[in-house]
Amino acid sequence: MTDADPPALHCRGIRVTYGEVTALADLEIAFARGAIHAVVGQNGAGKTTFARVAAGLVRPDAGSLAIDGHALRLGRVAGARAAGVELVHQSFALPPSFTVAEALEFGAGAGIGVYSRRRLLQRCRERLAALDLDVDPRRRIRDLPVEVQQGVEIARALVTDARLLILDEPTAVLPPAGIEALFERIRRLKRHGVTVILILHKLREVMAVADTISVLRGGRLVAGPVPCDQADERRIAELIVGQSAAGSVSADDARALVGAAPVRGAAARDTSASAALDSHESVLELADVSTAKDPEEPPLDRVSLLVRPGEIVGVAGVQGNGQRTLVQAIAGLAGITGGDIHLGGTRVSRLSPVSRRALGLRVIPFERNSEGLSLTSALWENWSVRELLQKPLFSFVDPSALRLRCDEALRTWGVRYASATQNAGALSGGNAQKVILAREIDEDARLIVAAQPARGLDIGATAFVWSALREAAGRGCGVLLISSDLDELFDISHRLVVMLSGRVVAEFVPPYDIGAVGRAMTGASM
Amino acid sequence: MSGISIRAGAVVRTLAFIVVALALCGIVFELAGYSALLMLESVVEGAFLRTGGWAQSLRWALPLFITATGVAISFRCGFFNIGAQGQFYVGAICAAFVADVLGGAPAALVLPMTFLAGMAGGALWALWPGYLRLRSGTDEVITTLMGNFIAALALVYVTSGPLKDPSGTGQQAASPLLPAVYRISDSQGISPAIIGIAAAVALAMWVLVNRTPFGMLASLAGRNPTMVRFQGARLWTLGLSSFLISGGLAGLAGTIELLGPTGRIASGFLPGHGFTAVLIALVANLSVLATAVVSMFFGGLASAALYLPILAGLPAAAIDIFNASVALFITAKSGLLDRLLRAARLPT
Repeated sequence: MTDADPPALHCRGIRVTYGEVTALADLEIAFARGAIHAVVGQNGAGKTTFARVAAGLVRPDAGSLAIDGHALRLGRVAGARAAGVELVHQSFALPPSFTVAEALEFGAGAGIGVYSRRRLLQRCRERLAALDLDVDPRRRIRDLPVEVQQGVEIARALVTDARLLILDEPTAVLPPAGIEALFERIRRLKRHGVTVILILHKLREVMAVADTISVLRGGRLVAGPVPCDQADERRIAELIVGQSAAGSVSADDARALVGAAPVRGAAARDTSASAALDSHESVLELADVSTAKDPEEPPLDRVSLLVRPGEIVGVAGVQGNGQRTLVQAIAGLAGITGGDIHLGGTRVSRLSPVSRRALGLRVIPFERNSEGLSLTSALWENWSVRELLQKPLFSFVDPSALRLRCDEALRTWGVRYASATQNAGALSGGNAQKVILAREIDEDARLIVAAQPARGLDIGATAFVWSALREAAGRGCGVLLISSDLDELFDISHRLVVMLSGRVVAEFVPPYDIGAVGRAMTGASM
Repeated sequence: MSGISIRAGAVVRTLAFIVVALALCGIVFELAGYSALLMLESVVEGAFLRTGGWAQSLRWALPLFITATGVAISFRCGFFNIGAQGQFYVGAICAAFVADVLGGAPAALVLPMTFLAGMAGGALWALWPGYLRLRSGTDEVITTLMGNFIAALALVYVTSGPLKDPSGTGQQAASPLLPAVYRISDSQGISPAIIGIAAAVALAMWVLVNRTPFGMLASLAGRNPTMVRFQGARLWTLGLSSFLISGGLAGLAGTIELLGPTGRIASGFLPGHGFTAVLIALVANLSVLATAVVSMFFGGLASAALYLPILAGLPAAAIDIFNASVALFITAKSGLLDRLLRAARLPT
């Protein structure tokens, strides 16, 4: 790597706008060949857009790209692929019904060819072995564990002899042990001369694997690429968060937000809540709750769980281990086949969702845009729905009064919006989540089930969601926080349970040990 | 403020459709050797300007309005019930049976029972597609559409069998003309009673849509059933109610035709009623008030259709061409169609 070497990827003045939003503003960045480069930044900083531009999926409005010194035609996947650029997506893009062998061949795109099954399998095994992936090529993608799926995805990207591999938030879906395996795989690629660009969220992971780090904020490069061993973690964290937001966030929150060294736990410093924790009262109690089989998600298997007033209980686990079923069972949307659910002392196992909500149950659902809001309906309709359901269907309501109260609530929650009659789809993710908070966190709330409440939000909005949940707990609400982000859970939960295959397999109290929690998440012996 | 400007935008867009549809029709007519301008003139004259034009337009508009508001309710809730024609027929058949069975009894008894039977019949004809949709996800577009054919054949059977008019000419199978005491209007069509019923329906539906939890939740469910289910709404109740209301109103329109202008049921009578109502609901963007206005427009067209051959020597089918071109533009109006398609794919 001398200065004379052209960079593996050189972006000059890349500008991408979506409508009125500027995703990338004249991005200038160059990555040297043969190293592992990390790109960090908060949600909305333009990281994914950058990856998509490099892979030819997004055609920028202005700017140019060069691979190894050769200019690339913009906005062409085939062009980028021919130049040796491959992108592994944040959400996997392999057809779930394909076998591993088919998926790999799918990426090769060798035109019309006649295959013999044996040759295909042979070739496929070699490729998988090169990545140290132990998987039968005849298995179907959908049957594989998520970290293996990701491995296959990487193998697929390398089929065309990619020389520049971009991974978009590859760790987001992985348990801690899977992350280490992924990093080992990436180091192996580096030894084979592949340049790797990692889009990452957590500084801890950057420091563990990358050679250089670059920080994006607001679609611009604010730092880097600088060698990781020369980077000051605190300084980088400030750059990610930005000066304006940094002041309002506590030190622990800030560390959790950028995924620096893990926070040890919230309860120790949060003395106001710990008084309430001694009480024997509960706002939510699940006793040996089981649910019926479901093709999409493991059913609950004798889950017992207790949330006391003023307590934030975190639910950790790799996605798809029954967290969805848990939320649905508590909300009354999934029938239970055994056990009992109590809300604030009332047995609700057989009660309708509406009656449970009347008892103070509130749910911030996993999917903001489908389960949480109707994007094509007005804000006031979205906000009013809980209240409308508490009234008889054929009774009189005054929409103008609802609109006024909606306005009041949205202002209290600091939602940036033009009018209560505008569609919810016009709001940004953070604002949309605030509308849900405004609906679900009211003075009658007794238990708030928050499922991934900060997913996809930028740092300011994430900190806002956390403080809203803490405040609710401070008023005596119980909070059940389901998240796959351990930093988030460690920072704000008073207590933590781990779900694996529909069971609660472990419980932790601060100070949390990330290793032990990680092992519990994957079912490794402790 | 912005709510009003959004609504104004929708009105402008809808008017733009109609103008473009008219222009398209004009081109077709010019190509076929007719004068487009003459057609336009005679439509306007036939619908509104000639003496009694307004009354005749209302005669067609009011039943259309009643059926169309019903259609709009099911569309709002996300169910593409296009079986208004069948529900209209089954309503009329049930009403005709009751009027026949109770024949001779005082009108104060017969009329309420007939109305009840008509609405129940229409509701029943919407109930089974609604049940199948909610129970097992059967596409309501297919079932309600098939229901139209079944109902039309049932009408042929009833009018040439059980309720056949013994003194009929045999050209068109029909039931006997109802005695004047049971009629709510003469054959010319319009009467205070019918106007009163339409006004009551308009008021009731406006309140239902805009001032009740049912109306608000149904329209939320139509746009995003998942979210409403997550909040704990019973989609069964919302969905079945909207199907029942929708069918019931089509049945009511059928009863009005039986007791009012038509005075009997005949095989294949008013064959385009339900489909025009679907079109009206879509052009009106499912709003009750707009449905009233648009119904008046299509009622005028229907009335002018009968007048065209006399005045301009144009075939009455000219109006069908116009309706078809409006339908074309409606389907091209992506927003609504997308919404219905999306709703159709989501689990209930």
